[in-house]
Amino acid sequence: MPDDRFFEPEIETLPRASLAALQEERILELVPYVYERSALVRRKWEEARVKPGDINSLADFTERAPFITKDDIRQFRDEAGDPFGGLLCTGYDAATTVFSTSGTTGDATMYAHAWDQWHPFWAATARDLWEIGVRPGDYVLGSGFKMRGPLYHAEQMCGAIPLMVSTGIGAWASALDAIRRYRPVCATLTGLAMAELDHLSRSTDMTEVFSSFKGATFAGEPLGARARAQLESWGVEVYVWTSTGDVTAAFECRQHDGCHAWEDCVLLESVDPVDGTPVADGELGELVATSLDNPITPMVRFRSDDIIRMTREPCGCGRTHARFWPVGRKGDETIVAGHSFVPMDIWRALEQVPETATALFQLVRPAREIDELRVRVGYDPGLTAALPDVRDRVSEVIMAAVGVAPVLELLPEPELLARGRGGKLPRVVKS
Amino acid sequence: MTLASTTAAAAALPQPRLWGVGRYEAAGRPAYFEISWADWRRDTDWARAMLADHGVRAGSGLIVVSGMPEAPWFDPVETAACELGAPFSVGEIWSFEAFRTAMYARRLPITMIFGMDRTVAEGLGDELAGVLARVPVIGARPDAISLLAGAGGRPFVVARLGPALAVECPQRAGAHVNGAEWTLAERGGELFLSTAGPRAHQISGEALGVHGALTQGACACGRTGQRVTIAE
Repeated sequence: MPDDRFFEPEIETLPRASLAALQEERILELVPYVYERSALVRRKWEEARVKPGDINSLADFTERAPFITKDDIRQFRDEAGDPFGGLLCTGYDAATTVFSTSGTTGDATMYAHAWDQWHPFWAATARDLWEIGVRPGDYVLGSGFKMRGPLYHAEQMCGAIPLMVSTGIGAWASALDAIRRYRPVCATLTGLAMAELDHLSRSTDMTEVFSSFKGATFAGEPLGARARAQLESWGVEVYVWTSTGDVTAAFECRQHDGCHAWEDCVLLESVDPVDGTPVADGELGELVATSLDNPITPMVRFRSDDIIRMTREPCGCGRTHARFWPVGRKGDETIVAGHSFVPMDIWRALEQVPETATALFQLVRPAREIDELRVRVGYDPGLTAALPDVRDRVSEVIMAAVGVAPVLELLPEPELLARGRGGKLPRVVKS
Repeated sequence: MTLASTTAAAAALPQPRLWGVGRYEAAGRPAYFEISWADWRRDTDWARAMLADHGVRAGSGLIVVSGMPEAPWFDPVETAACELGAPFSVGEIWSFEAFRTAMYARRLPITMIFGMDRTVAEGLGDELAGVLARVPVIGARPDAISLLAGAGGRPFVVARLGPALAVECPQRAGAHVNGAEWTLAERGGELFLSTAGPRAHQISGEALGVHGALTQGACACGRTGQRVTIAE
């Protein structure tokens, strides 16, 4: 098996018709199960006047089952005093772990799983690491955070050995020492890590450091063009990954043509963000997820607020599960003085200024439509001789990108990094 | 199901000898240490007995305050909780992540926090008193003991000593290390560690850069062997 390209060849290349049959079987088991046990699902379905008996096929489910939003979960949690927002289908004591989302955009949402060896959230990720080339006996540099569970389980499932050293803020100089010593084949990177690696690259031969790598995964926020180019210049093949509606994770394969959603684990839909109708493959839509393998807190038609493009076409790698491309978060679009833009527009602009090329910034936005464009920007104090000059150049590139002159708050990068949470810097903040 | 199929695929692969590699500071210098799967299993068994002594049982709720790089010390504790049927959550060790510990303590029926450090205790701010009031048993790192005690808590000690973990039993009369795995020595108030068991990582008299005092002899909990009182 170590010579095989796929971790689970049969499942990863399951014909679509078989995949659909498998999903239908699981959905028809799930529907009566959650209706009986999940207080939030029961409430939403009663409001929509839908009963389990109305659902006799996958098509019935996607046509009739009501959506659940993060606001629904929070509202139920606050009204009922239920920490799980009505999602828990068992007693608390049936759970093995309770973990939570990063909390970047608000109060973190809790999810529970039951397991006895490997954490279910990361189980399918073993397929993704295997595709990158992680094999038994390889070392893998661990991920810095555990709030979603131990990612190193996926590494151990591949037979690999996790290097459990810090890759958090300020720790990359020592992480490079671990890389040199153990020669890992893979690591998990974030935007905050890239800012630090960018600085270290001025005094370190990064091509030599990363020479053992088969790939590095990147998540938490969009990967800027400059950061990608920089990693590639160090010989690192980057695999973008993201969450699939808080059910599991989805990674790029070696084709780098979308993130693979594991559809034996999650029913993935893409719907119109406004009216909830299905959108065609390739069109922009909101990711909707239903858990197919979590009996503790299954999500049922959960609207993730993630805007994606999705396709069910088989991938060039030979896998058949759906792929998607994360585009942004619903509501990220901002209108200032009649000009519309998304945070990525500012990201690309800042990459053009050497002192702000790590693109650490926050759009300060009390509402979606604003009169004044306020941007908090991190700069590299080591590269900056004259702050007024940096301010002028940053204003210029943002003006060119967005069409509006910004009001800038320039902060040294370490100060801005300190506002990060869970490996991520919130790009849109209210104050 | 996905978990079942991936677990089966993983089981078909050759398992390496090592569970993982960690790193600790020994007298200010970084030292790497390898943990075998057999080491991890024995560490888990020891942690399970310690948690059980503190009253952790099926249905108890735990928050383990630790970060991924601390997995060599704290994963055995988490796995032990899992084996005892006690749901656990992880509160990260960064100050900006203290909100997560507070959130779990506020919303879940938590009976123990294991491993709280000063950073998180201070990061809790005004919520610290509420956390101490809600959670009956708290295991804290040496740097947080006096802060928590001053706030009305009665924490037991949880300490990383080089590659070893030391944990006080409910007697709170010095922290136990697993004597089958490790031996401590004290010279001039400084602690030194040696490997006693068949571990992948073998050391002899390694200076830990930690000060403390050793107690020999049986503890009222029934354990024999060394206990350590660590200077904060």
